[in-house]
Amino acid sequence: MGRWRSPPTPTQKTQTSEYGRPNPKPENAVTIGVSARVLFNMETEQQIYERQGLEEYIKYQVEHETQPFTPGPAFSFVKALEAVNAQLRELYPESEELFDVVLMTNNHAYVGLRLINTINHHQLFIERFCMTGGNSPIGYLKAYHTNLYLSADPVKVREALEEGIAAATMFTPEKMAEVSESQLRVAFDGDAVLFSDESERIYKAHGLDKFFEHEKAHENKLLDHGPLKGFLEALGKLQKKFYGKGQRMECPIRTYLVTARSAASSGTRALKTLRSWGLEIDEALFMAGAPKGPMLEKIRPHIFFDDQMFHVEGAAEMGTVACHVPYGVAQGVTKREMNGRETSSAPK
Amino acid sequence: MKDADRALVVAVTTRAVFDAAAGDVYGMGVAFPLLQSLQKVNERLLEKNPAESLLFDVVLIATDSQQQSSRIISSTSHYGLEVGRFCFSSREDLVETLVVNNVQLFLSTDRDEALQVSQKGVLSALLGRQEAPSESLRVMLCGDAIVRPDCDPVPASRGAAQSFSARLGEMRGRFGVSGSPLSIVLVTSSGGSKSCGVALQTLRSRGLSVDEAYCLAGAPRGPILSLLRPHFLLGDGVIDLED
Repeated sequence: MGRWRSPPTPTQKTQTSEYGRPNPKPENAVTIGVSARVLFNMETEQQIYERQGLEEYIKYQVEHETQPFTPGPAFSFVKALEAVNAQLRELYPESEELFDVVLMTNNHAYVGLRLINTINHHQLFIERFCMTGGNSPIGYLKAYHTNLYLSADPVKVREALEEGIAAATMFTPEKMAEVSESQLRVAFDGDAVLFSDESERIYKAHGLDKFFEHEKAHENKLLDHGPLKGFLEALGKLQKKFYGKGQRMECPIRTYLVTARSAASSGTRALKTLRSWGLEIDEALFMAGAPKGPMLEKIRPHIFFDDQMFHVEGAAEMGTVACHVPYGVAQGVTKREMNGRETSSAPK
Repeated sequence: MKDADRALVVAVTTRAVFDAAAGDVYGMGVAFPLLQSLQKVNERLLEKNPAESLLFDVVLIATDSQQQSSRIISSTSHYGLEVGRFCFSSREDLVETLVVNNVQLFLSTDRDEALQVSQKGVLSALLGRQEAPSESLRVMLCGDAIVRPDCDPVPASRGAAQSFSARLGEMRGRFGVSGSPLSIVLVTSSGGSKSCGVALQTLRSRGLSVDEAYCLAGAPRGPILSLLRPHFLLGDGVIDLED
């Protein structure tokens, strides 16, 4: 007969969050920095700022302080990160290997209360933020060990990339496709995103066929790494934690490679490179130069990274939240890119 | 001398302002960038309103018998520093000197000295190191103190802190959102975004609007502090700027 024991008294953990859990140390977490404009829809306010200046913008924000913003393009991505965290906490209650979302905005703290009210309204678990009052947030990204930075401002994104931080300019699709609430899906282009732009240069100079030829000839030569390799690595680390508990098939994180490379010729070099890095990708889709939009529409990722605006726009047209990685030879400094606005355009 | 009732009296030790050096004039110490920033704020306030009475009134306090009064005064004038008063006191009489001179904020590089003063109810803070002159006077507020109204015992300098921040808020209000020579920075170390929201609201109700806000939720303060470069940090008691 077993001895009856009184239930253990709950341990008093130091609480640094109103939700009853301490935030992970920045170096242990996968830290995602998001700007205010991608997390929330601030289009009206942005227009006021551009047309009437800073003081009017601040005045408007303060007047509407109790009115929460509606979700922006990064919102469903952040919600999916939180869903993954909930599942990680269940399996590993003591671990700090979690996603940590930090609001990184160069808004003035005058706008702070409206942002905080909005975070509360939508029940987001965002406990860390930097409101830099007009100063560049780049230094703070490094101080928080940021693994990925998302912003609507391509200038800041370029600055972050130059500092070695994975970053992308996020655009708002006109209509956002429905995405999963329980499984985080992240899609990456290959060249100049996961890999360096070395092969992209061949494509630019000599066209798609020469590109395929070159890649086939060099298929055993590893590609150099691109700006988002580290982020894929961080995702892979978390995926392995689910595999460790027998959750490979229904893993709450799923990654996709959506590349212009073709399976027949240039795909092998990409896959071999990933394997040599010890990285796995759940699905590799070789488009052989075809548009990526329809494929992404089927996959329904929360976020898609590409270095070419043609693909970013094509994806956004079909409802995918697409981000531009301004890296490598595909970048021309066009006025459209500097504005950071999504526009429809003829393919490049 | 500035209007006694309206001026914001800030006392700084001469040890912090001047470094010992050979010759007639002392070298520039840690507090130099601070004094220059205080001066710049005054200049901009007077630009807006030549009859402005809410200005910083700087008092230099010498407790160090090593520094000679004549050299202190000549060094001050050599560097063109605007000092309202010089007080030649001693370590024992420091607090009394501050009270008699209606000092609203005492700044030092000596932690023990600052603590001693704070415990007697005079608002006190440690000076931050400035690598390069900054565009504005950067005052950092520790939000955790603001959100913790009922700690026991209540810090002696709590009342002084609240009235100082109200006056500071009034001063900040003279300038627009951008281009201000005075920046107010709020940092909350523990507590999440809700706590920081409470701090922002509390400060606003006291008339102090914040320019920048950082909510750390337990992340280490050091890396952020070195980016923020405050001239000094106000909180409960005396807080170290090197974390």
